Parts: sequence; structure tokens; C-alpha cells
Amino acid sequence: MDKLVIADKQFTSRLLIGTGKFSSSKVMASAIEASGAEIVTVALRRVDITNQNDDMLAAIDRTKYLLLPNTSGARTADEAIRLSRLARAATGINWVKLEVTPDPYYLLPDPVETLKAAEVLVKEGFVVLPYINADPILSKRLQDVGVATVMPLGSPIGSNRGLKTREALEIIIEQANVPVVVDAGLGLPSHAAEAMEIGADAVLVNTAIATAAEPAKMAYAFKLAVEAGRTAYLAGAAAETKKASASSPLTGFLRNE
Amino acid sequence: MGVLKINGKEKTFLDNKMPVTLMDLLTILGVDSATVVAELDGQIVERANFTTTPLRDGQSIELVRFVPGG
Repeated sequence: MDKLVIADKQFTSRLLIGTGKFSSSKVMASAIEASGAEIVTVALRRVDITNQNDDMLAAIDRTKYLLLPNTSGARTADEAIRLSRLARAATGINWVKLEVTPDPYYLLPDPVETLKAAEVLVKEGFVVLPYINADPILSKRLQDVGVATVMPLGSPIGSNRGLKTREALEIIIEQANVPVVVDAGLGLPSHAAEAMEIGADAVLVNTAIATAAEPAKMAYAFKLAVEAGRTAYLAGAAAETKKASASSPLTGFLRNE
Repeated sequence: MGVLKINGKEKTFLDNKMPVTLMDLLTILGVDSATVVAELDGQIVERANFTTTPLRDGQSIELVRFVPGG
């Protein structure tokens, strides 16, 4: 497959994986491996000093995977900026998946706060990958301030409902001059394939893999779907028609007419 | 006695048990310094400076680390 280029980095895989909701670090590690992903997302939270659990993320080989910290939990631009700076201190790299989600029911991203935070973070030298609703104008405004990708949602986070925003995604993809990563709501490999077929540059999947009965198997299915969808996009889809168009010759039938 | 606010909760230390540096505090709490990021009164402290960052009574410390997430 052709390479995915985000900022100054090249990737072979077009599937990004979230690390949330896995039943154990072992299950998570095997799913990441099976997915072929090179970028994995993580969140930043307070250390629970009364209950030191094992470090779930110790299972991730940081020389093999790019750890992409998100700003989940942030409800304002200021909170997201603070989390981004902490994440940079933790990873030593300046990539951040910017999420500002004040609404706890649908976890929809706040466009105003996201744009505000993106502007500040880009000026501070961050490579910003903002999670957004599928809004083509917001997508343009974010590109104007210098984000590295846009990450529009297919449907609400963890809902597994697929590309409910398809028409708006198509406009975003048509107009984008940075990679478009469809994030959130992809519940099945066919959803991921559909996103790639319409020209998305990559997809991010978490819940659909982490909560499948066999996460590693589902991760592999998503890998295949992303590759199939990308290849189909590059192949150029055949035109749709309303009426049938015979695939077999319309002459030489075994009857006399 | 000294008081430090750690992740929003006040913790009291006897004078002879008061951590001198940020690294001392992590050791007392049993927190692995390799996986943690610290903010001292709102300012990020780089991991390399944990051992040289002194603590004073009344300071506020945030200790965060990566957890699984999308």
C-alpha cells in the first residue's frame, strides 16, 4: 500500500488503534500486533496513589509504536492545552490527539474550544491531530491554523454505528490538504472499509476491537478491511447505474430469434 | 509538620518525614518515577529534574501518567 504521511513521519499502516477497554494488557498487546497499527493512542490521568495498579501500557513496545496521547477528559481549550503539555513531558515527542468533549452523553467535540486549543498548540510546536465532528468548515479552519490531520467522527465514540456522517466526510475529504483520519463510531470492518473507499487517509478504531469476543481476530479483520478499502479507493470505483448492464455478451444465445 | 496537596488531596508529613525533593516524595508514595509526569504548583517538572526539585510546605503537586484510552 502507499504510505500514510502525517507531519514528518511515514507510516505503512493506515489503521490507528486506541488502547482503551481491553480486558488485559496481554489481550491489548496481541490485538495491536494483529492490527499492524503503528500509531496507538493513550490517555493521561492522575496517578492513583492509594492503589498502584500494574502499568497496563508497559506491554507496548515504544520503539515499535508511536504513542499518541489524547486529551480526553478535557472540557475546555485550557484543560486540553494543559494535558498536551503534560503529555509532551511524558513522551518527549510533541504529537497530540486533541479532544475537547464537554458533553458526557454523546462525547461530541466542542468545535470552538478545539479550534482555540489547536491554535495555541500549533504555535507551541505541537503536531496536532484534532478530533472533530464531521464539519467541513471547521476542518478548513483547523487546517488554516496548521493542524497535521483532521479526525472527523463517523458516529459517537464507542457507538459502533458506522459512517452516519458520510456525506459531510466526503466533503471534508474532497477539500482537505492534510490527512483525514476517520475516528470514532466504526463498529465493523465494513465501516472501516467504507471510510477508506470514500478516500479517508486512515481510520482510528478502539471499542470495536477491544470489546469484540476475540480482539486480536477483530483487529486483524480491521487491518484487512482498511487495506481493502484503501486499495479499492486507489483502483478507482466503477460507476453506479440504475439499470442493469450485462456482464456477459448479449449475442450468440442458444435460441432462434 | 508539613502539608503537600497531592492530586487534589492534602497529605500531612511529620517534620522528619517531609520529603526533601520531588523524587523523595515519589519514593515515599511508591510511585515509579519512570512512568510519571509531575506538575508542581502548575509548572511541569521534567523527569530529569525530579531529584533536584525541592519541595516546600503548602505546595501543590499533580502526578499523572498514561493509561489506556482511545
